[in-house]
Amino acid sequence: MKENLILKIESLSKNFGALKAVDEVNFEIKKGEIVGLIGPNGAGKTTVTSLITGALPKTAGRVFFNNIDISNLKPYQIARKGLARTFQVVKPLIGMTVEENILVGSLYGKSGRNSNIKDACRRTREIIKLVGLDKKRNYSVSDITLPDLKRMEFARVLAMEPEVVFLDEVMAGLNPAEVDEASKLVKMVRDEKDLTIVYIEHIMKAVMEISERIIVLHHGKKIKEGSPQEVADDPAVIEAYLGKRYAAKEVTK
Amino acid sequence: MFINRNIKRIILAICLIILIFLPKFIAGYGIRILTAIFMYAIIAQGINLMSGYMGYLPFGNAMFFGVGAYITAIMMAKGLTFLWAMILGGIASILVSTLFGLPVLRLRGHYFAIATIGVSGALLSIVQNATEITGGAMGTTLPVIEGSPQVTYSYFYWGMLTLMIVVTLIISYVMKTKFGYGIRSIKANEEAADAMGINTTQHKVITWAISAFFTSLAGSIYAYWMSFIAPDEVFNIMIIVHAIVILLIGGMGTVLGPIIGAFIIELLSEVAWSNFLEYHLAVMGIVTLIIIFFIPKGVVGTFSEIRKKRKIRQGEKEAV
Repeated sequence: MKENLILKIESLSKNFGALKAVDEVNFEIKKGEIVGLIGPNGAGKTTVTSLITGALPKTAGRVFFNNIDISNLKPYQIARKGLARTFQVVKPLIGMTVEENILVGSLYGKSGRNSNIKDACRRTREIIKLVGLDKKRNYSVSDITLPDLKRMEFARVLAMEPEVVFLDEVMAGLNPAEVDEASKLVKMVRDEKDLTIVYIEHIMKAVMEISERIIVLHHGKKIKEGSPQEVADDPAVIEAYLGKRYAAKEVTK
Repeated sequence: MFINRNIKRIILAICLIILIFLPKFIAGYGIRILTAIFMYAIIAQGINLMSGYMGYLPFGNAMFFGVGAYITAIMMAKGLTFLWAMILGGIASILVSTLFGLPVLRLRGHYFAIATIGVSGALLSIVQNATEITGGAMGTTLPVIEGSPQVTYSYFYWGMLTLMIVVTLIISYVMKTKFGYGIRSIKANEEAADAMGINTTQHKVITWAISAFFTSLAGSIYAYWMSFIAPDEVFNIMIIVHAIVILLIGGMGTVLGPIIGAFIIELLSEVAWSNFLEYHLAVMGIVTLIIIFFIPKGVVGTFSEIRKKRKIRQGEKEAV
């Protein structure tokens, strides 16, 4: 069991002044899992991601990746070790084409250790095909739609050849048909690339379908961890999402 | 208007041949103007690398021009040959840029531009007050090359021309490497660049060192060319303002922008100078405004934009 462990979070905390945005959160991720990280607005999902990937300094807590302590590394060092993320608000490299954006991921990231530009270009082409952006590859990122931008960010992360990927609300702003398509893509890529995925999401339908295990955050604390069904049946989770009254009703039923 | 790569190369080669043999045919004044054009193109290339490609405006870059000029003057007074003095000046500039870059370039955004002005001012004060070494505010002289002005000016002409070409080739090469993509990513979105595994501080410091080195070499040649330098002249922020205007007009973040911009601005400046002696700065200002208003991406930038759009359209046709 233990050798399967890829990511271990130990009492991770972050205070913004008096506000405990993340409060003593612990969890473990196993190799090859798709784990959903959910919670209502302001639960601390994105903050947890930023803490793990080094974008925000931690107040307390430690992060182990493949049994190595990465708590004090800088974002670029963590990215090079094989932990990559997308952004809730997309951050394309403006002024570059779709292909160039993905190429940068391929040149740096974990794949960047000893990459020459030719190999990186070849990998970029493969990934562009994999995510279905062939037709848009010469477009400037300012000329493509939001779903395509999200697809591009996903591709950029894949190009880094990471072991663990944090997908921060990749479905936000997509319509139901696009959500289905994106879910399929994520699953397909996970199988093909042997990835571990932490999936941060608002859209419950997508999370329930795709995740094998779900972690629920509320007010910066972990309130539940389990299979999608266990989580959906848990009164505390329903309360966090829908309020006390609704939770009581569910239980009496 | 649309020129493919080979035709572009032939045109560039012809221009180059003309420039190389020009000193045989034209008089001293024209040579001096062209040498100044090359010099500004080099300085603008240094700013282009930092600002056009990486998004950090090095407002105080004149300090490297000054360091290059002064180290050359001091070392030549000690008996070193010009080439060695120039290289020492370049190394000194790299050291200065790294020393200040390491703390200042950890910051993101506009603080850098302001901080470099401060550093530049501090260096100017040091040079003005270290009278025993630098000659102080009165300036200092360099050895003069023997020979007629016509001949010696053409040496500096070729020197600046060579440096301009080398600098441009290096930048054009660097931008195609992994490092080049790294610094373009920093301009595009530094947070994303960081998350993708780019060591942004290291990239910024190295880029500034390259920019400083180029600017310093131009300062060295300038000092030897003028054979007299004064601190407030070579540490003058107006050199950088001038180069920024050149860059805006030629095109930020384009390889040939600084060169084409330098030609346009310097030649315009000549025309303005000879026709409106008293108002020439005002005329230049208005012309600059008009150009920036109508072609904000600069001459080269506008052309490459058109070409890119054309490429996309072709791509769409192929995809259909």
